[in-house]
Amino acid sequence: MVEDSRPSWENPMQFVLACVSYAVGLGNVWRFPYLCQMHGGGGFLIPYLIMLVVEGLPLFYLELAIGQHMRQGSIGAWSAINPYMGGVGIASVVVSIFLTIYYNVINAWAFWYLFHSFQGTLPWAECPLSSNLTTYVPECEKSSSTDYFWYRETLNISSSIEDHGGIQMGQALCLVLSWMVVYLCVLRGTEATGKVVYFTATFPYLVMIIYLIRGVTLHGALNGLKYMFTPKLSDLADPKAWIDAATQILFSLGLGCGSLIAFASYNHHNNNFEKQAIVVSLINSATSIFASLVTFSIYGFKATFNYESCLDRTQLLLINTFDLTEDSIKPDNLDDWISHLNASFPDKFATISSQIEGCDLESELDTAVEGTGLAFIVYSEAIKNMGLSQLWSVLYFSMLLMLGIGSMLGNVAAIITPLRDSAFLTRHFRKETLIGMMCLFCCLVGLSFTTRSGNYWFTIFNDYAATFSLLFIVLIEIITICYVYGLKKFEKDIELMIGHRPHWYWKITWSVVSPVLIIGLFIFYTADYIMGGTPTYQAWDSNLGKTVTKEYPPYAQAVIGLLLVTSMICVPLVALITFIKKKKEQAKESKIITTAT
Amino acid sequence: MLARVLLALSLVPALALALCQPDGQDAYKVRLSIKTALGANAYEWNESEQFLFRATLAFAMRKYTGQETFNVSSVIVCDETPRVSFWFVVTNPNDTATLIPKNAVEEAIRLSRNRINSAFLLSDKTLQFLGIPPTLAPPSQPSLPVWLIVFGVVMGIVTTGILALIISGFIQRKKKDIEDEDEEEKQEGIMENGISCETLEGKEGVNNGAYSHDEDRLTQL
Repeated sequence: MVEDSRPSWENPMQFVLACVSYAVGLGNVWRFPYLCQMHGGGGFLIPYLIMLVVEGLPLFYLELAIGQHMRQGSIGAWSAINPYMGGVGIASVVVSIFLTIYYNVINAWAFWYLFHSFQGTLPWAECPLSSNLTTYVPECEKSSSTDYFWYRETLNISSSIEDHGGIQMGQALCLVLSWMVVYLCVLRGTEATGKVVYFTATFPYLVMIIYLIRGVTLHGALNGLKYMFTPKLSDLADPKAWIDAATQILFSLGLGCGSLIAFASYNHHNNNFEKQAIVVSLINSATSIFASLVTFSIYGFKATFNYESCLDRTQLLLINTFDLTEDSIKPDNLDDWISHLNASFPDKFATISSQIEGCDLESELDTAVEGTGLAFIVYSEAIKNMGLSQLWSVLYFSMLLMLGIGSMLGNVAAIITPLRDSAFLTRHFRKETLIGMMCLFCCLVGLSFTTRSGNYWFTIFNDYAATFSLLFIVLIEIITICYVYGLKKFEKDIELMIGHRPHWYWKITWSVVSPVLIIGLFIFYTADYIMGGTPTYQAWDSNLGKTVTKEYPPYAQAVIGLLLVTSMICVPLVALITFIKKKKEQAKESKIITTAT
Repeated sequence: MLARVLLALSLVPALALALCQPDGQDAYKVRLSIKTALGANAYEWNESEQFLFRATLAFAMRKYTGQETFNVSSVIVCDETPRVSFWFVVTNPNDTATLIPKNAVEEAIRLSRNRINSAFLLSDKTLQFLGIPPTLAPPSQPSLPVWLIVFGVVMGIVTTGILALIISGFIQRKKKDIEDEDEEEKQEGIMENGISCETLEGKEGVNNGAYSHDEDRLTQL
């Protein structure tokens, strides 16, 4: 029997931790707090939790059920469900390949920052000096030391996507290391990663708790927390909030990539995945909320720090221009002084009025950042102002690494499991060789993200490789199960596994609610893409010291199109091929019958 | 006679004041931020501190030019403000009516900047000479970047781990192959389809239940 020879998790806990480690990733830390900020702070939790219950949980349950029942990776599983639908599995694998190629670059950056934290002063705390040792490098002065370290010393970014530049050795070395770490974790097979996920799943929580304790004790953290928790319910009327909530749930749980199917395929047939699905989804959402608590205290600290520095600068400017005693101007009487000086010495005041920046705490808190900008710039800026910054830096970047590697293990599993299911490949290659070749291939392709324009290509992959295609895949998945395979048959399968039929709630969400939601998202994104005009990106201008918007050149747009099409086209293509094959077989059979009689 | 002496005496400070002009060609503005630097330990800026400043500057001029003729009186200060900022000029000790040019003063200050700062317990940032940029301390550059060292360590650990796992997997597989071979060799006698021939010899045969009720199912011809 095939069941006995398939390897399995040592205990159900490893499966749960693997799912948690995969689902809880960088998106929880850098995407969810951003969405909270954009959509009215605490009020965003309402659409988020509704979407979790209505869309996220049912789909998570569905994928685990498929994996555990079919006991194969995504390609085998979907071919078994319906031969015409084998393309869904292949599409999942294609998306996972794109994902693994670009995602590990983030781990490379985390390694880079981690290694650079072992210095007396953090390298992003100060601007480097120009050659005559009298001023700072102009690019650094115009932006900030953390921006400079990210854009210049880490990425050495070029001014546009067309300007390729060479491979950055530091980045390339870190990328190779990241792939070696991933290989180390998966080379004994996905089920053996069960030991690794004990660590990758729990360590981030430890760091987040430490950071939360430190974060809320920072000066000004309460400003950030207050900002987050005052719900601006008017923002809920904006449909974008609901769309973002639905999208975030989908991607945060990692649906559609085939990783959950792969993990579940190593379960025992009677494993109670229903309870586990609920537990993992709830943990994932709770982690997002927890991470935004930490992020908002850090935001509050950073905003307050910048606000107070701004006040100090203004105070110094006034004191120096008007030669007043040092402690005459305090933050609370600053405005009075400004109006007084403006009235008494209008000419002199006019000379400096352009330099007086309005210091506003609200506007500092309003600067919402997401993605690599949040993780690598905003956080490192906050860390450099904390006491014992090296320790906090090491902790933080180790946490990012664990989150990233945990998610990578899931992505890699989604590719390796179907590969190992293939009898042909298993016969000719040992599993270590197979996995090694896959890692090597992804590493080599990933090196293109370490060039000077690599970050722009990374953004393309980040925005397009696994977004639209995943929506499509998840939609096809749910329609296949409910209407092609049959909900009744699926119910029976589940009953065989866990001993009872799924509650009517699951059936309603699978057959009606989730498909409708996903179709709605699909329509919205298609319309948005069509009406959006030429897609643009943020390019770093070293002369200005900030980002400027540029349009993608035609070949970059072609790559975007290719990313979207290559995964989605697998579904109709495989259906067509299977159809043609079946027709050929039928023709052969009828030939045999006619010749026999 | 007395009147003439008095007139001459009164002219000297007037002359001195005329030499020291804010925004003068050879004048420098100095700004001290004592409270920012020392907080609670800040000292009061008074005439004596001013005297110390002029003496320190005269010392700097002596050191730079090598001429020991500079004196406290060579440094003239004017336009003091409560900020604690003022302008100063340095007069030529040989000819008190002329001023030492700006570049020379700048070089002198640059040379002894550290000494001047320490006299007042201040730093380049808190004792500012407007127009003379502070020499920023270059960050220490170790010979081998620290990050490469840490990178090397981690890379070494990971490589060792990978090799260990691959080799142990290889050894396990070899052991399993040898064990399987041993198991087969250990079986005594001749094997036929996994059933030892000895068991077959002693019996009339084994009744295979799969075929026992099929007789009813065969269709009658």
